[in-house]
Amino acid sequence: MTINTHPALPEFEYVQPTTLAETSEFLVSHPGEARPFLGGTDVFVRMRDGFLTPKFLVDVKNLNGTNNLSFDPQSGLTLGAAVNMNQVIASPEVQVHYPLLAEACRSVASYQLRTRATVVGNICNASPAGDTIGACLALDGTLQIHGTDGLRQESLSSFFLGPGKTTLKPGDIVTAIHFPLPPQKCSGTYLKLGRNQLSDLSIVGVTALGHPDSSCESGYRFRLALASVAPVPFVPVEAETYLANHSITPESLREAAYLSANACSPIDDVRGSARYRKEMVRNLSAKALTEVWKNLN
Amino acid sequence: MAFHKINVTINDELEQVVVPSNMTLMAMLRESLAMTGTKNGCSAGECGACTVLLNGEPVNSCMVLAVECDGANIVTVEGLAEEKQLSPIQQAIIHEGGVQCGFCTPGILISSHALLKRNPNPSENEIREALVGNLCRCTGYVRIIESVKEAAKIQSAAT
Amino acid sequence: MARIDTQNVPSPIGENAPRIDAREKVTGAAIFADDIQFGNSLLHARIKRSPHPHAFIKKIDVTKARALPGVKAVVTGQDFPGYIGLYLKDRHIFCRDHVRYVGDPVVGVAAVSEEIAEKALDLIEVEYEVLEPVLDPEFGANPKAPVLHPDLGQYSVANFIFPQPGTNISNHFKIRKGDVDSVWGKCAAIVERKYRIPHIQHVPIEPHIAIAKADESGEITLWGSSQSPFAQRNLIAQALGISQSKMRVIAPFVGGGFGCKAGVSMEALAVAIATKVKGHPVKLLLTREEEFFTAFVRQGLVSYIKMGCDEKGQLLAMENTFYWDGGAYTEYGVNITRASGYSSSGPYEVPNVKTDSYCIYTNHPVGGAMRGFGMPEIHAGLEQCIDELALQIGMDAVEFRKLNCLKTGSTLVTGSKMHATGLSTCIEKTAEAIGWGKKSPASGPNKRRGKGLALMWKAPAMPPNAGSSAWVELAEDGTVNVGVGGQEIGQGVFTVAAQMAAGALGVPYESVRIATPVDTRYSPYEWQTVASRLTWSMGNAVVNAAKDAKRQILDTVAEAWEESPEDLDIVNGMVISYKSEKEMPLKNLVIYGLPKPGGQGWVGGPVVGRGNFMPTYVTGLDAETGQGERAVVHYTTGAQAVELEVDLDTGRIEILKGVSTFDVGKAINPELVKAQMEGGFVQGMSSALFESLQLKDGVVKNPSFVDYRIATSADTPRDLEAYIVEVAQDDGPWGARGIGEHSMVPTIPAIANAIYDAVGIRFDGPPFTAEKVYLAMLDAGIVK
Repeated sequence: MTINTHPALPEFEYVQPTTLAETSEFLVSHPGEARPFLGGTDVFVRMRDGFLTPKFLVDVKNLNGTNNLSFDPQSGLTLGAAVNMNQVIASPEVQVHYPLLAEACRSVASYQLRTRATVVGNICNASPAGDTIGACLALDGTLQIHGTDGLRQESLSSFFLGPGKTTLKPGDIVTAIHFPLPPQKCSGTYLKLGRNQLSDLSIVGVTALGHPDSSCESGYRFRLALASVAPVPFVPVEAETYLANHSITPESLREAAYLSANACSPIDDVRGSARYRKEMVRNLSAKALTEVWKNLN
Repeated sequence: MAFHKINVTINDELEQVVVPSNMTLMAMLRESLAMTGTKNGCSAGECGACTVLLNGEPVNSCMVLAVECDGANIVTVEGLAEEKQLSPIQQAIIHEGGVQCGFCTPGILISSHALLKRNPNPSENEIREALVGNLCRCTGYVRIIESVKEAAKIQSAAT
Repeated sequence: MARIDTQNVPSPIGENAPRIDAREKVTGAAIFADDIQFGNSLLHARIKRSPHPHAFIKKIDVTKARALPGVKAVVTGQDFPGYIGLYLKDRHIFCRDHVRYVGDPVVGVAAVSEEIAEKALDLIEVEYEVLEPVLDPEFGANPKAPVLHPDLGQYSVANFIFPQPGTNISNHFKIRKGDVDSVWGKCAAIVERKYRIPHIQHVPIEPHIAIAKADESGEITLWGSSQSPFAQRNLIAQALGISQSKMRVIAPFVGGGFGCKAGVSMEALAVAIATKVKGHPVKLLLTREEEFFTAFVRQGLVSYIKMGCDEKGQLLAMENTFYWDGGAYTEYGVNITRASGYSSSGPYEVPNVKTDSYCIYTNHPVGGAMRGFGMPEIHAGLEQCIDELALQIGMDAVEFRKLNCLKTGSTLVTGSKMHATGLSTCIEKTAEAIGWGKKSPASGPNKRRGKGLALMWKAPAMPPNAGSSAWVELAEDGTVNVGVGGQEIGQGVFTVAAQMAAGALGVPYESVRIATPVDTRYSPYEWQTVASRLTWSMGNAVVNAAKDAKRQILDTVAEAWEESPEDLDIVNGMVISYKSEKEMPLKNLVIYGLPKPGGQGWVGGPVVGRGNFMPTYVTGLDAETGQGERAVVHYTTGAQAVELEVDLDTGRIEILKGVSTFDVGKAINPELVKAQMEGGFVQGMSSALFESLQLKDGVVKNPSFVDYRIATSADTPRDLEAYIVEVAQDDGPWGARGIGEHSMVPTIPAIANAIYDAVGIRFDGPPFTAEKVYLAMLDAGIVK
């Protein structure tokens, strides 16, 4: 109950390590007490509400390479952890090669918040409502993580365990997210339903990405992701499979939307009811798929 | 709790401030420096009343730690006017009637000022989108949107 | 000597004078209460609040909190036995033995920092015995419900409020006009509906704030964001048992009020705490979360509305029962019950009306004044029923309203007569501007378009003798300083007061200043900045003060020039004689007077004009019938219409166009009047589409901007039009009456009527959220 919301941030120590090794070491030697942060837009709010009480806040914004956004025509896009969402939106490489990612970022909150918010932060916060997560899943993002054992990669598809829970271990910091080159001729869209026109959290969010794929019976592969309808960002696999195996028509797109809605298990909460969410998954999935299909032709 | 000595440029003036770890940029401006033009409406990054420019970009200063601003460049509403001349957006918002109680006004001005810098001729939709993080309860936004359009004209006439 | 052109002097009245406070607001120089610098002796307060909607306080242990270093005072209700309230004294400053809503203040802490005060709250132990709560006003009215205020019969109460001791009914207002029972049989069409209007909050962008300081002599100073410095002085002094002269209130700019900063809410807490740390200012600033439910909210309403008309569409009867969810304390809300009662017909002539308006105690947040003061809540239902009745009788909804609406001389629900009104013109203008009767195509196959219109009326709801006063002084340079007690809350009253002073005195608008901040030690008395009353009431006082100053000036000059004051005038800051054509700038005489003719002494001296205004003609209303000769000072009337689209895929409503037309008597500053119409429309639209305090078991589940959505720049309609009608108010300055609240009143039903036009669905109350609309369409088979 928000009678516990404090007027200001509780006490903590601010720590700004200069190397990745130092950061992992600090996190691991202060288990349960130290929390890394980037933009702080989720962490500060939860601290003020009394849900998080870290003794140390570790600023991981200025570690090697985390501020870089770089596109390589051979290997794809590397988005440093500290790159903020406005930078992603404004990047010409993102606009040309990953417009879905820009669209997803643009749907988040407000311009002021996007100056601080980061895609990596959105991912690590692991809220099922995270607006950029669907795009990152559909674009096959892999996380680059630095831990006490050094650097490793991890696919986003197995990263989320529950609301606010990921596979990150003590000492881990995500340094970047990498996206391979997008499939040829792909088209994507993110449809976000809020209670008012803009700036809301998603009641339901539908990410759809499609591209020609000769390995599919239908000749096309679609990637789908749903926000705010399950404990984690949700991929309706059955719907994706259906579209891979059935020729693409308005009916099959509708059926895929129906399958998406059936597959998810939203809850009633202060923002919306489960019944409405299911209906919206179906309607917005149909809309998103129709739009993507139109662009593919 | 540790205190940090930081150097920060605010409205073109270099300030040296000692801040505790948990002090926000908003609190530093309002309490440490008595720069009360920037307002506290929610302390949660939702209302935009605390909007300032951080290295040229609008942020909710209640969502930025003061200690993160060491070496940074901040612009607040107090820094928008040049000497005696109000900035185009300040002139326009007066002229178009976009000020009522005035509490959201500093944040609105900063967001609009930044919009016009990165997009000198914004469309109606672009203005609406840019201001969505600045809540106003008095005006209904219509005259604020008109003010930004008017400011764009003033700005382009001046250049 | 050049002759002053008296023919072509622009009058500031009716001009779009630039706001007098605009420059300081756009430069960040404008001072709001939290901007005042108090220095190192400032202490910070935090409040420990009840987590239960209804409980008995068994024990409070503050020893650990008191011992925390940095804590300077810990205060409970034990030290403050006095009752406080505007129309009914039903609450204590801090709870004494009962808590009656989640958020009810139990303990106050002052410390050297807000952080320490906050930490101290966790060290306070309060033991409660939880009691059965009342969470619904109809249940609260039931004899089976627990009685929340057993001492209701002993509370001091205004003589026009009728509490029912031994129950939860803190006011029962009745209208018995004609005989509704005998007339239903004659109706060709009858509509009977029940509505639930949820609690909402004002959401000023500046939260409530108060800083109080008590000095050794017992004098208390209160700085705050306040619509009511004088009422706060009065009520808090009474509650503390001290003289009003010992209580000083200083009120700088208000960052939005909408009624929530009227009366007294959290300010008394700061004062109470301050009395324990003499010499220290104590600041209490509500968090946004606290703002949503611990100060004032807008009451919820359950309304039963029945109305009938004959075959020609003439309204014959209305029967209304209003159950107001007044909350834990209804010291302010009782008058909303009354105002809604005497306005319960809507702006129509109805020969038979029966209304029972009940204010009910519940264990919900405290209901207070919010823009419209009961009018939005009742019009939400009334104006939908009117549409339904028109449809039943086969009449166009606008024609139905034009037939039945109040005209000059109409008999009102209270038996009084309607003064001159331009309501019919407002209806015509609004219908024309929205393109009534013309259907425009929807913007896509998955959209449905509709138009809706609604009317409103409202009188300033206040005691019959609420007064205003003002003074006018001039300085050596001829500038005019105007003292007022009314507050600038964004509506532009300082600007129009300056315009009115300039117009009445004969000086340019640019030479007028308002003496700010309002300070009860120096400023002249003003009842409250509420009820859309200032332009009219304070305006009259300002005009009287300016005329008084003018008379002093002309008398002085007449003596010095040996002329008659009747031949003199002040034009554009110059005293002129129409007879001799002499002229002299004002500044030459306003401080030092003028030499007598022949140099034999002096005449005049410092000019101080004074004026006041208090309506003298308000009669009471019969307690049984609600009938009386003149219940209110006047009504502002108007109409609003919307054109909207419903998205069939999501249920989302998009308001394409909004039109407002109000009869304001005289627009002293037309752009400021239009700005009120626009702002009120959007706030009304926001309440129609997005807003409700989601109360469950007495707890507000959405007390933050994250989950209490208000309209943003992206939600405001693309086309918002505002039109002014001017049918003069007989005792208004230049004929002016108020506009501040009225533009929020008809918006919910206008939108509801448009939704019906678009998709044929009605709801039992707002907000018409996308979810609510979509699921209703799904259940009705409009979408699958």
